[in-house]
Amino acid sequence: MFSWSVRALFALSAFVLSAQQIQLPRTADGKPNLQGIWQVRGNAAADLKGIVEGGAIPYQPWAATKKQQNFTSRLTADPVGKCYFPGVPRIMYMEYPFQIFQTPEHVAITFEWSQVYRLIYTNGKTPPHDGIDSWMGDSRGRWEGNTLVVEVKGQNDKTWFDSAGDFHSDAMNVTERYTMLDADTIRYEATIQDPKVFTKSWKISMPLARQKNLPRLLEYQCQAEAEEASGDFERDPRTWYPNPGAPPSPLGKPAVMPPSGTLPEVKTGTNLRRTPDGKPDLTGYYTSNAGGANYGLEQRRSELRLTPSTRGVIIDPPDRTLPYQPWARAERINREEPYRGYDDPTAHCFVAGVPRSMYVPSPVQILQPPGYVVMLFERMSWRIIPLDGRAHIPDNIRLWQGDSVGHWEGDTLVVDTTNLNGKTWLNEVGDVVSYAEHVIERFIPTADGKITYRATVTDPIAYTRPWTIEIPLSRGNDELLEVACHEDNGDLQNLKNVRDEYRAQQKKGK
Amino acid sequence: MLMMVTLMAGTVLAHHSFTAEFDVNKPVKLTGKVTEMKFSNPHSWIYLDVEKDGKVVNWALETGAANALIRRGWKKTDLPAGTVLVVDGWQARNGTATANVSSVTFTDGKRLFAGSSNESAETK
Repeated sequence: MFSWSVRALFALSAFVLSAQQIQLPRTADGKPNLQGIWQVRGNAAADLKGIVEGGAIPYQPWAATKKQQNFTSRLTADPVGKCYFPGVPRIMYMEYPFQIFQTPEHVAITFEWSQVYRLIYTNGKTPPHDGIDSWMGDSRGRWEGNTLVVEVKGQNDKTWFDSAGDFHSDAMNVTERYTMLDADTIRYEATIQDPKVFTKSWKISMPLARQKNLPRLLEYQCQAEAEEASGDFERDPRTWYPNPGAPPSPLGKPAVMPPSGTLPEVKTGTNLRRTPDGKPDLTGYYTSNAGGANYGLEQRRSELRLTPSTRGVIIDPPDRTLPYQPWARAERINREEPYRGYDDPTAHCFVAGVPRSMYVPSPVQILQPPGYVVMLFERMSWRIIPLDGRAHIPDNIRLWQGDSVGHWEGDTLVVDTTNLNGKTWLNEVGDVVSYAEHVIERFIPTADGKITYRATVTDPIAYTRPWTIEIPLSRGNDELLEVACHEDNGDLQNLKNVRDEYRAQQKKGK
Repeated sequence: MLMMVTLMAGTVLAHHSFTAEFDVNKPVKLTGKVTEMKFSNPHSWIYLDVEKDGKVVNWALETGAANALIRRGWKKTDLPAGTVLVVDGWQARNGTATANVSSVTFTDGKRLFAGSSNESAETK
């Protein structure tokens, strides 16, 4: 017979085990459910030394010297200080929230910091393009019991671990381990191997805390905010959302908008692949056949070799031109002047906004985790579309990608976007949009891997009526690569020179 | 007058950033040896040692987006230093040894990054 204490011990351990099994939220495929909004508390991003196991980073002697040099010059030399990508693991412990999404083949992490994302492939596939190095690395993950193990390879040598100058070479491999301890805590560990810089591998460990009070991520657009503060990126009072207390757009009362025209119906496909909840499965890597929309939404046949012809993607109004108010048509024409090139936000590598993100000539990965559609753009940015019918965020919060809420109408995904900031151009020739923009998009799956994309834009400050564009999206068998636009941005200074020359000439002429 | 130049797939025909840096009235034709290739987006760069009048000048040649080249199978190691290339392009407005490339061939005339000559690959 067992003693009372042993019986109690069994009962207790059975209770603890079953409690542990109940405690962890799980996905449909039985894995710990890491989804939600998380953040690291603490100052690891300033200096890692507090969380390095064993106390100190084991630098080789030459590297210890270099670290000291980095530390001395950190105020100017820290890549994150220039808004460059932080790399892995630093992105995980910057003091901004991030959101984890989990599907059978991917774990996606979207970061509030500069709209960076990481796409961790858990489908066992190897990268289709090898030998590529990047700022954020290539991440491949697998589950070991209740721990997600992620191998991060191919990072370049341009990032630091923190703002104290801790650095690595391009030979670094990082192994991460995400272990859910309870519903609100993930233990995050990263093991660093870099035989060029360290005498042995070393490890950091820290908890990720669920941010239960945040309904969604907002934006910290590092470079855009820096340039606005310095005056390098100037306010356009006609299109930007007014500052608190400032007068509204000098264009006066917005136009009263008639309804949109009737659009030809597009039939959704039969035999579509579906997610477990019965909705069309839009998951995949997509490119757009946009006919040059990033160089003009209206049709234009170009005589000049270097200005592309554009097919024209407008389907309403029926004459397929944009129903501009006169001021906006004049502005659009002026934006083609060479000295205006500097004003295109994407020339600064700022985020493209909505709907432009859908037709810049770069691919997009669509993911469909429970309750969301998530879009990851090769031009490093994301859109998170919740499907829970929530209200939009308050009117005075304005974002480059706006605030999107989605729902299904039959097999069509309908996305409603407001709260845009009016800072974007619709393309490189400067098609105009203001902060009053309200976009309704329809993602219409016509067959597996084929989506007819429509966007109806209602903007009473720039236009006289709503207009709609239509662009086909096609799924391909490929993976996103990295675009480090700001990090490699050589063009911007040339554009600024042209603008400055023009302004100098204008001054002389006066 | 039509210019009979073919543009590499992946060249970003962003007329603002092109005209801000390069001059369509300054065509150049260069032959030289590769010293380095830098893959980046939206432009990659080929560095070429070009000999003229006994002097060697290293030219910086702006070419297509790295990701477009990678997707057509190109790797960094495919253009080793010393490879001889023939380049047509447009020189920088400021007259430096910098040019935007419209076509690149090997000495036998075979086009580098050969494939679709359709410049609208980037302007889809």
